[in-house]
Amino acid sequence: MGHNRSLPEHLQAVGITKRYGGVDALKGANFSLRTGEVHALVGENGAGKSTLARILAGSTRADSGAISIYGAPVEIATPLDAQRLGIGIIYQELDLFPNLTAGENMVIGNLHFREGRLVNFRRMEEFCRPFLRQVGLSCGIRQTVAALSIGQMQLLAIARALSMDARILLMDEPTSSLFDDAAERLFGLIAALKQRGVSTVYVSHKMDEIFRICDRATVLRDGETIGTVEMAGASVNQLIRMMVGRELPITARAARRVAGETVLAAEKMSTAKLKNVSFELRRGEVLGIAGLVGSGRSELGAALFGIDRIKSGTLCVQGKLHSPRSPRDAMASGIGLLPEDRRLQGLMMRMSVLENATLAVLPKISGLGFIHLRQEFSIVGPVARQLALNCPSTAVPVSQLSGGNQQKVLLARWLLLNPTVLFLDDPTRGIDIGAKQDIYRLIDELAAGGKAIILVSSELPELLRCCDRILVLNEGRVTAHYDARDATQEQIMSAATNAEVRA
Amino acid sequence: MPSVRASAGLLRRAQNLAALLGILMLAIATSPTASDGSRIFLQAGNLTDILRQVSLIGIISLAMTFVILTGGIDLSVGSILALSTALTAMFLTRGYTTHIAVAILAAIAAAALAGALNGVVIARTGIQPFIVTLASMIGVRGLAKWLTNNQNIDIGFGKDLAAEFAGIFREKAIVIGAYAGAAALFWVVLARTVFGRYVRAVGDNEKAAKYAGLPIRATKIWVYTLSGLFTGFAGVLYAAENHQGNPNAGVAYELDAIAAVVIGGTRLSGGKGSISGTIVGTLIMGVLTNMLRLNNVDSNVEMMIKAVIIVLAVAVQRERNGN
Repeated sequence: MGHNRSLPEHLQAVGITKRYGGVDALKGANFSLRTGEVHALVGENGAGKSTLARILAGSTRADSGAISIYGAPVEIATPLDAQRLGIGIIYQELDLFPNLTAGENMVIGNLHFREGRLVNFRRMEEFCRPFLRQVGLSCGIRQTVAALSIGQMQLLAIARALSMDARILLMDEPTSSLFDDAAERLFGLIAALKQRGVSTVYVSHKMDEIFRICDRATVLRDGETIGTVEMAGASVNQLIRMMVGRELPITARAARRVAGETVLAAEKMSTAKLKNVSFELRRGEVLGIAGLVGSGRSELGAALFGIDRIKSGTLCVQGKLHSPRSPRDAMASGIGLLPEDRRLQGLMMRMSVLENATLAVLPKISGLGFIHLRQEFSIVGPVARQLALNCPSTAVPVSQLSGGNQQKVLLARWLLLNPTVLFLDDPTRGIDIGAKQDIYRLIDELAAGGKAIILVSSELPELLRCCDRILVLNEGRVTAHYDARDATQEQIMSAATNAEVRA
Repeated sequence: MPSVRASAGLLRRAQNLAALLGILMLAIATSPTASDGSRIFLQAGNLTDILRQVSLIGIISLAMTFVILTGGIDLSVGSILALSTALTAMFLTRGYTTHIAVAILAAIAAAALAGALNGVVIARTGIQPFIVTLASMIGVRGLAKWLTNNQNIDIGFGKDLAAEFAGIFREKAIVIGAYAGAAALFWVVLARTVFGRYVRAVGDNEKAAKYAGLPIRATKIWVYTLSGLFTGFAGVLYAAENHQGNPNAGVAYELDAIAAVVIGGTRLSGGKGSISGTIVGTLIMGVLTNMLRLNNVDSNVEMMIKAVIIVLAVAVQRERNGN
């Protein structure tokens, strides 16, 4: 790595504290980054990783603590300060302006691109192109950001950080919405930047990635630094033990399930985004859906759930032809859907945990339009326990919970409704390992209880762990169909990326 | 943590009340005194006058709270109120009916229908509520003027049906009682019913409401219908109080109602707000008006002061709520 140990650390943060309301997000966390290393920041959700990253990027101010760069104390009060100090951040929810062009996104607020009051598109192009080439993004600078894929947006955000002359890149769960090929490109870029002395702070939950690309990892737990380890001598279990304070089995595979009668059958079903999709699903079965973002995996849920109209082919639910025109229709036929984006499509962030959980079953717990408040309170308790929901009280706004617990609240909504078929669209996206385990356990329990489950996931090990069968989608078509016991990650990847049809 | 949250909620409510108490104390302190040395502001007659004066805007702002909670707005209430006053007076003075109740129901039904039309267009087309209700603000005003030939329809003081109606419905007790009853009704509906929960859910996150299978269209149609209906009711009270049906009544009432709602802490973006807040907001504006009038402050200056109060009240709430 060519690291010279006599040099001071590239960046050092000591005793960082941050309180939000009555909650300590960080309680004297320490972190140090060597020049040119890729340093993972890991911990369960709520451990303080994102808060620490935001403090280093100047978008949040620490209550106390000291930060130095090459030994010199610095103050990072605003994102502009961070930019001057060569610190760039790529947020999990990318902070791009969707209606502006790629070029405009790169030069806005960029201290290294100084312009008069009028925009000179040629100068903008000259300024942007080297950085776009460096990250391997082929879009034109006049392309509107909203038209880019999530992977491309991510590369654009990195190009922007580089154009601001960032020497330290903070990446907050960069692969949470990328499939493996885009993630692969990102890893290549991180390695190339490392060669040029750029230091990367990599916030992630994904152990395989961390072990692949990181030199060291710092573990946070409950706002405190538990320790920093060299990846070369570390094990997954060791890191997880540090993160959660206990060991968790992460590779245990679901026991083979006994499938019951067929409850869902699609025959050459087509929508605007799906072409001739056929499959069957039985009670007690978990069907995995693999595919790149945009492959039609979420659109399959949209078709089942009455959001996209079925244009040709048939869909039968429990033997009856099903052509839902709204989610209400679909729910009446016993179909539930946990949406991909829990904040955008799932939760009412200003409402309480209780109100979010019971929202879809209110007609069942009311009389003459009045909600039976005691009954509402009492039905949530058992479900919250089943999900191992961790919240101080069900009266708190759902916005105060960690991502994993928010997802559990949304799951609670569906458990209360008790549908026959449950479509789970990437339920473990961006949530911590403990909550993931709880969700895997729940899927096992639901299947054992006779539910038919469809599980979409970006993580292949997750599909192999949870599913009985796996359907691979590519450009709206089914390109492969495996028994999960026989499938390998390589097979699934190749079916997801090649259009070649196998059955 | 639960106690922290609870006290934060309490603080927010207390802060609303504190603002009201502050203005009350200011009003008492600045009140001119009567010949017997007592403060005019505190006289029972004055206090009930305040309540009566805020009752019409108060009733409209209750329904407006629901509209705003869904993330919408209703600019047509002033025009709908005018339509209702006109219809009430027409039914009573032109011999269309011999029953007061029929006249009242006809006026309220027409107003509710106008509101329902707002709701249907908003729910079916997805055009922004601002634009739809702006259009009906213009159109319904036109309808009221057309029906009346742009003439006030006077309700006399004699012994006829119209006069009898006005005699009953301009009673302070009836007007204030109507406001109190409506306030209790809206409070219960928001706090306890499925519909109230849907109103907040739709305004909080409409997309999520769709994924949860909530009846979004029906909810929207209902809130605008209720807005029309209760505005129609306020129009009936207006006709009685002013002894006339007036096609030019209610100009800028929508703005007073919206002001009361936002002073009460309801967010224009929807999803968050309360009926109790709106009531306090309405009372703050009422007490302020009364205080300024007792001190003979120019009514133009009064408007300027109200402007400052609106911005101040919302600014303080934003600061305390951390956004």
